[in-house]
Amino acid sequence: MDKKLLGVIDATTYQEGLEPFVDHRSLAALPFGGRYRLIDFILSNMVNSGIRSVAIFPKFQYRSLMDHLGSGKDWELNRKRDGLFFFPSQINSDGIGSFTHFAENMDYFQRSTQQYALIANCYTVANIDFRKVLEAHIHAKCDITEVRKDGRSMEMYLVKLSLLTDLIEKRRETGYSSMKDVVTDLNHSYKICHYEYNGYVNMIDSISSYYQSNMSLLNSATWKSLFTKEHPIYTKVKDEPPTHYLNGSHVLNSVIANGCQIEGHVENCIIFRGVKVGKGSVIKNSIIMQKSQIGENCVLDSCIFDKDVKVEPCSMMRGSMESPFVVRKGTIQGALMKS
Amino acid sequence: MGKKKCVAMLLAGGKGSRLSSLTKSLAKPAIPFGGKYRIIDFTLSNCTNSGIDTVGVLTQYQPLVLNSYIGIGSAWDLDRKDGGVTVLPPYSESSEVKWYTGTASAIYQNMTYLMQFDPEYVLILSGDHIYKMDYSHMLDYHIEKGADATISVIEVPWDEANRFGIMNTTKEMKVVEFEEKPQFPQSNLASMGIYIFNWSLLKEYLEMDARNPESSHDFGKDIIPLLLDENKKLFAYPFAGYWKDVGTVKSLWEANMDLLDEKNQLNLFDYSWRIYSVNPNHPPQLITSEAEVVDSLINEGCTVEGYVNKSVLFQGVAVEKGASVRETVVMPNAVISKDAYIERAIVPSNLVIPEGVVIRPDIGSDEIILVTEEIIKEMQAH
Repeated sequence: MDKKLLGVIDATTYQEGLEPFVDHRSLAALPFGGRYRLIDFILSNMVNSGIRSVAIFPKFQYRSLMDHLGSGKDWELNRKRDGLFFFPSQINSDGIGSFTHFAENMDYFQRSTQQYALIANCYTVANIDFRKVLEAHIHAKCDITEVRKDGRSMEMYLVKLSLLTDLIEKRRETGYSSMKDVVTDLNHSYKICHYEYNGYVNMIDSISSYYQSNMSLLNSATWKSLFTKEHPIYTKVKDEPPTHYLNGSHVLNSVIANGCQIEGHVENCIIFRGVKVGKGSVIKNSIIMQKSQIGENCVLDSCIFDKDVKVEPCSMMRGSMESPFVVRKGTIQGALMKS
Repeated sequence: MGKKKCVAMLLAGGKGSRLSSLTKSLAKPAIPFGGKYRIIDFTLSNCTNSGIDTVGVLTQYQPLVLNSYIGIGSAWDLDRKDGGVTVLPPYSESSEVKWYTGTASAIYQNMTYLMQFDPEYVLILSGDHIYKMDYSHMLDYHIEKGADATISVIEVPWDEANRFGIMNTTKEMKVVEFEEKPQFPQSNLASMGIYIFNWSLLKEYLEMDARNPESSHDFGKDIIPLLLDENKKLFAYPFAGYWKDVGTVKSLWEANMDLLDEKNQLNLFDYSWRIYSVNPNHPPQLITSEAEVVDSLINEGCTVEGYVNKSVLFQGVAVEKGASVRETVVMPNAVISKDAYIERAIVPSNLVIPEGVVIRPDIGSDEIILVTEEIIKEMQAH
């Protein structure tokens, strides 16, 4: 099974709704769940499904994505044979599984010895075993299998590699520019199958879905389906010390990463690595990304802070669960900038 | 192999017999410490942070965990093409296996390892100690003093000086006498078991010592006194800061508790001197709505549903609903089941404290309990 599947991750997507977070980084590199980036989920799913060769097609602001993935070591993809491949694109192309983008790197597909390819997006949070999708695909003699959740496309497609190269090469004749075009068109003779996935799935396409799916980690059923011992989600390793809950801290119903120093009250929050929460501060229903520092006696409710945000003492910021208060990366929030 | 200025030899074969069942299946340097580390992480990280890229790790007692933990050294950035980390176990020579009988014999038997780098200086370290130290400063001091050997020392309380190897020095820190556990100490400068030698001199004396059938082949007992006898220039390098030899269950517990002090000297949050370790891949810690966490150090992969106060929780620990953990060190993947109560204890890796079991020292006792299967059975019988 190991050598059969090739992984293709389309990291070209730009979600306008996530603008404050993705104007400086690829959506694939968006921090999620306290210590991950969005791409960790699909990449770990692929690795856990026995995929040993993964091609990533990024387009926008991929510096942070490359920094995160490095040689692929943390996913054990730093291999002499196969491994992790990076194919940034210069050409403007659109749509998921964009064939133009793939065509620029046709060599990769032609050189690969795997029989099948799995083409996936970079913004789905799930823990899927693609071996089962492949099994079903082979069993039902499908040409293309679309992975779905509750009847809705998860924008993941399994296809024979030879058919994929065919589709890419003939894109001008057929007019298909992506896998989505193929599966939604009824005027062809390909056998399209649907694989219904029953587990937890969240596709991040807006601030609201980002907020909700982070918060859903606090639900123990979600937690258990996403983080299993058998299929771990890998990410870039950091040498942070354990989190220090200092005297006076009060933490409940929260997901906390390593390297934090917490002296305040934290409730219903997702706290990323290396965050500091000062004495007397109360943070509720919020997502605080890496290395943000919250001064003493602040009150924050329903906020999303990007990385490296500094909050001066005695500040107050409040959003709502429907519309969280969003703070951009690296900004300083003063006591007078109340919202 | 290129020539190296300074090569470190890290003695990691210690049994740590006073640590009781904790060292039954692993060597002392491999004991978990501080919520995510093993003791040896401190010396290995010190090497990396001091710019030393060639480290020989001498193992002997229960080396399996240690060997697989060290691997090729990538966790400490010591996976190098030239040098890097090399695990050096005892080996056999034509007729017999030559076990390391003392610290000096361990180095003597690995002289071929050192010779391939032909270093100017050799740094001898122990993998048993918890501290942060810049060895490059000690090396500068050694060179500046024109010493043949330099021994790192730390001031210990006078009433404890009789437990250490004590260096008697001149005002200029030249060592005039070394006394192992003196009854009436003349100085409170204790040897930290960290030595820098000029390699040419060390080689000569190790060979001399190996030929001496009376010798116990130990740096403190044999090599240092021999050098002093021969009027070699030995200097003491004064170190100030956190340094702990966690020889007993209680001192191991205390060293963990030291980390809970906001202003602790070890400061694991100092990014200019990071302590590296093998990072197991775990999700973040989940603190549920029933949980209460006070004054504690908690690592990734923990799930806390109960009460945790003044404790250190390693990766993968679960504290279930209604359970209480107070002043306790809980090592990796241990489980404190529902309604269990545990106080002033060390819970070893993978141990499950069953539901409702109460483990705590007798009232008024300052004992620290090292929890074992036997203790659990005993408590359940009550």
